[in-house]
Amino acid sequence: MNGLRAALRVEARKAATARVLQAGAVLLVGGAGVLGASLTAAVEAGNDQVAAKLGQVAATDGWPLMVGTVSQIVAAGALLTFGITLSWVFGREFTDGTVYGLFALPVSRTAQTVAKFTVHFGWSVVAAAALTGLVAVAGLAIGLGGLDDSAATGLGRLFVLCAVSGLVAAPAAWAATLGRGPMAGIATTIGLIVLAQVAVLAFPSGSAWFPIAAPALWALRPDEVTVAQLALIPVFAAGFAALTARAWNRLQLDR
Amino acid sequence: MSDRLRIDDAVRAYGPATGVLGVSLRVEPGLVHALVGLNGAGKTTLMRATLGMIRLDSGSVRIGGVPVGRMPASAWAGVGHLIDSPFAYPELSVRANLEVAARLRGLSARAAPEAVDAAVDGMGIARYERTRASRLSKGNRQRLGLAAALVADPDLMILDEPTDALDPAGVIALRETLRERADRGAGVLVSSHHLDEVARIADRISVMNRGRIVGTLDRTGAELERSFFELVLRDDERRAEDVGGES
Repeated sequence: MNGLRAALRVEARKAATARVLQAGAVLLVGGAGVLGASLTAAVEAGNDQVAAKLGQVAATDGWPLMVGTVSQIVAAGALLTFGITLSWVFGREFTDGTVYGLFALPVSRTAQTVAKFTVHFGWSVVAAAALTGLVAVAGLAIGLGGLDDSAATGLGRLFVLCAVSGLVAAPAAWAATLGRGPMAGIATTIGLIVLAQVAVLAFPSGSAWFPIAAPALWALRPDEVTVAQLALIPVFAAGFAALTARAWNRLQLDR
Repeated sequence: MSDRLRIDDAVRAYGPATGVLGVSLRVEPGLVHALVGLNGAGKTTLMRATLGMIRLDSGSVRIGGVPVGRMPASAWAGVGHLIDSPFAYPELSVRANLEVAARLRGLSARAAPEAVDAAVDGMGIARYERTRASRLSKGNRQRLGLAAALVADPDLMILDEPTDALDPAGVIALRETLRERADRGAGVLVSSHHLDEVARIADRISVMNRGRIVGTLDRTGAELERSFFELVLRDDERRAEDVGGES
């Protein structure tokens, strides 16, 4: 792949100064952490209304309650955040008018696409690590006690759920390319979240076969999701990444 | 030595008189070739097709003797271009933008800083090096876009309306850098909708109208503008007669 190393450096540099990515990470990490801690504290204090909204998770207490609550928030929140940021990463080239400068270069557009996905997923991992760390600190701060094996496993699943949400947002990049701007990708992201909710409600026993719903189902009920169902997630992401690369290669700037 | 750029019978039609409708032109080493035409004449479409941004319906484009479709990726390092809008990420500083452009144009991490120094000096934007592109005036953004196009010292430059928004000092800087690079053997294709300072230093001036090259201008001749409008008017009249004759 021509120029992948240069493309990775360029995309990393752009990401490091991108306020959209910084704001996305702060809103996701801060929002999920603070909301999760306050909802957990509310349930522990006996708030029935909050407990009713959290469903099955509210029947637990301590770290499982905290991690389960944050996982519910992150299930939709991370996909929304990463869908928006990925849409921006691809769509801003059109709205900023920089797409013309990405043609006729020794760095191929396939390399540029791979670099965008790689850097964005790397950023998702960093955001997931920050979120997990913040939840651990918040749990200690509200008096959930020390981290035992079960709590550490729960936090590990939360980290994976958040990071993997960066993968399942891949269709947003394809849509932003076809729609030539971030809005098409953002609309697609919202559609994905709705579809995941519908899949869980309409097909409760088979919804884990839906790669967008599988990460959250696995994080909340790990015993009910198979390895085969989890294996579909990277296949799904790679498929949409390939479609995005194809769309960039076939792109014509005549509109 | 083969032409820096050769276009033969290029067609990309968007309608009966819109787009590029059979254009042939050459840019030889050491030559500045200006493409002058009114808005909508097809200049930008031709340049986009040359750079692979759109596909031709028919015809061919060769860069350095190699058909564009078969050019190895590395060969694009020898082509610098500015089409439509400057290559400038608003959140990056002028220097960071140029370093990004240098890396994308094949320069190594070691070679890029020196090339960036030369580019900012060449386009007179050294004092804005640390300024974010979003804070630049339109003219300075254009200078940044031109510096990005030229940063890797290309053999062929394709610049669409490069004097847009430039002040007189910017036009002179551009004119001098293009002339200097052409004198070293580079080829330059530059477009304009009027006979600006850059078009006037061209070695060859082709006039484009409604998708076709309708003639050339002698830059040493008097009343260049009048000759330009005469060519355009004559072409419009001829087409009107053709349409009248058909109906």
